[in-house]
Amino acid sequence: MTPLHPFASIDEWIEPFRHGFMLRGLASALLLSVSGALLGSILVLRRLALLGDALSHSLLPGVAVAWLLFGHGVLAMLVGALATGLLIAVASALLSRLTRLKEDAAFGAFFLVAYAAGIALVSRSGTGVDLLHFLFGNILGVGPADLALTAIATGITSMLFLLFHRGIVLEVFDPVFSRASGMHVRWFHIGFLCLAVLNLVAALQTMGVILALGLFLLPAATAYLWCDRFRTMLLAAMLTGMLGSTAGLVLSFYTGISSGPSIVLCLGAGFLISALLSPRYGVLHAVRTAWRERRAVRHTTE
Amino acid sequence: MAHHDIFRLKDVTVRYGRRLALDHITTQIPCGGLVALVGPNGAGKSTLLKSLLGWLPLTAGEIRLGDHHPRHLHPRLAYLPQRAEVEWDFPITVREVVAQGRWPSLGYFRRFTETENRKVEEALHELDLVAIQHEQIRRLSGGQQQRMFLARSVAQGADIFLLDEPFNSLDLAARADLLHLLQRWLGQGRTVIAAVHDLAIARSHFSHAVLLDTRLIAAGPTAEALSDANIDLAFRSHMPVLGARP
Repeated sequence: MTPLHPFASIDEWIEPFRHGFMLRGLASALLLSVSGALLGSILVLRRLALLGDALSHSLLPGVAVAWLLFGHGVLAMLVGALATGLLIAVASALLSRLTRLKEDAAFGAFFLVAYAAGIALVSRSGTGVDLLHFLFGNILGVGPADLALTAIATGITSMLFLLFHRGIVLEVFDPVFSRASGMHVRWFHIGFLCLAVLNLVAALQTMGVILALGLFLLPAATAYLWCDRFRTMLLAAMLTGMLGSTAGLVLSFYTGISSGPSIVLCLGAGFLISALLSPRYGVLHAVRTAWRERRAVRHTTE
Repeated sequence: MAHHDIFRLKDVTVRYGRRLALDHITTQIPCGGLVALVGPNGAGKSTLLKSLLGWLPLTAGEIRLGDHHPRHLHPRLAYLPQRAEVEWDFPITVREVVAQGRWPSLGYFRRFTETENRKVEEALHELDLVAIQHEQIRRLSGGQQQRMFLARSVAQGADIFLLDEPFNSLDLAARADLLHLLQRWLGQGRTVIAAVHDLAIARSHFSHAVLLDTRLIAAGPTAEALSDANIDLAFRSHMPVLGARP
């Protein structure tokens, strides 16, 4: 296989997708870029990024148990993941209410234990390869059923966002007004949690447990650095996710890196460039403004 | 000038757990007045505002808005949030925030029509926000941010405005602007009820005052309600007593 370089010919970009499994992987990643942008934007704006990260790790034992009992059945994995995800969310909410522990500590403790239990389960009963696939994704494993789940997850997520767009914006931007105006989305928190788990499970085959959130978080964080309108931010996040995951899959095909890390690295490159160069919210802009202000002060005092 | 009353409170009592926040308040709030809620910290000013909005379950008593319970936000009622309650880094422009004022009457699904756009346009004009309508909201000054939320209430079609400490965190010029605006609204028959910290502002600019210290100390035209004797009564228990043993 020829090593890929940034200016590879179109043929080299297309070549990987002549394989059925790569095409399925691509379709799944493109779909997830849509729902990932929606969920990721809420994560970023509501400051839930780390919580989402913890949540994705804590799905492992559920997925592992389902895998031990039923093999690679998509539905079983979904149920298992949903069960552990909700269990841990509810348990940590309860613990933080009943003890002096704050929610982040309770959640952190639970997710570590769950994660360890998941790893223990898989490594006891599977091979090292199985564990790696769970943690980092295995593009070869994306079957038609996974693709169907992804399509359903994306469909449900997008539909709910379209329907409740106004309520969701208010819930994040100005919860007091949202309550006052009767647009309060009562089940916002739990609904968001369920949607997140649904999409994380859909992303599991391609991205792996550890990195699944990357496809949600990185495009949204990147778009946030550029956009001053919510709609533009969502669209930009979707596009970023699509470009990044396509590039990541191609990179993975030519280098043999697992698809999860490869996609996250490509998205990460876009994120870093944005964080540096974004004209309004980038590091360079901040440094330049501070420098100008200092010079102006010196100028007026001299 | 004979006012009729917009809010009538009867024996309104609110408890947070064991703590008594409002103690048997009975009073009326006149229509078309500029009403200051005054009292020491923890006197129940915010609690009273939230009760007027219908957001708090009353432990006892009742509040009537005209002839109604103000349970769900009546479209005539608008609440101006305190700064900390809003996510300022949300990617949203001034115009989009003002347009949210139309959402309560549109609900989730009905589309924005020309009528809605016109109301948004009018509100932007009234609060002098046209020039900055496409700015992201973090970049505005404190006064502009406040005018934006007032414009959202105007777009909503409200004529009763409940403001929680609106003068806090405003510079002098912005304070003067806000006072000027409130005076204008008073002339237009709008009702403004504001929790006010600054006694001087309440005395010089508000037509009516409600003086609270958990219970009602006084209510009525400002000069009477905020007399020195009444103020003394409301704030006395909160003054540090010099020489007192701990």
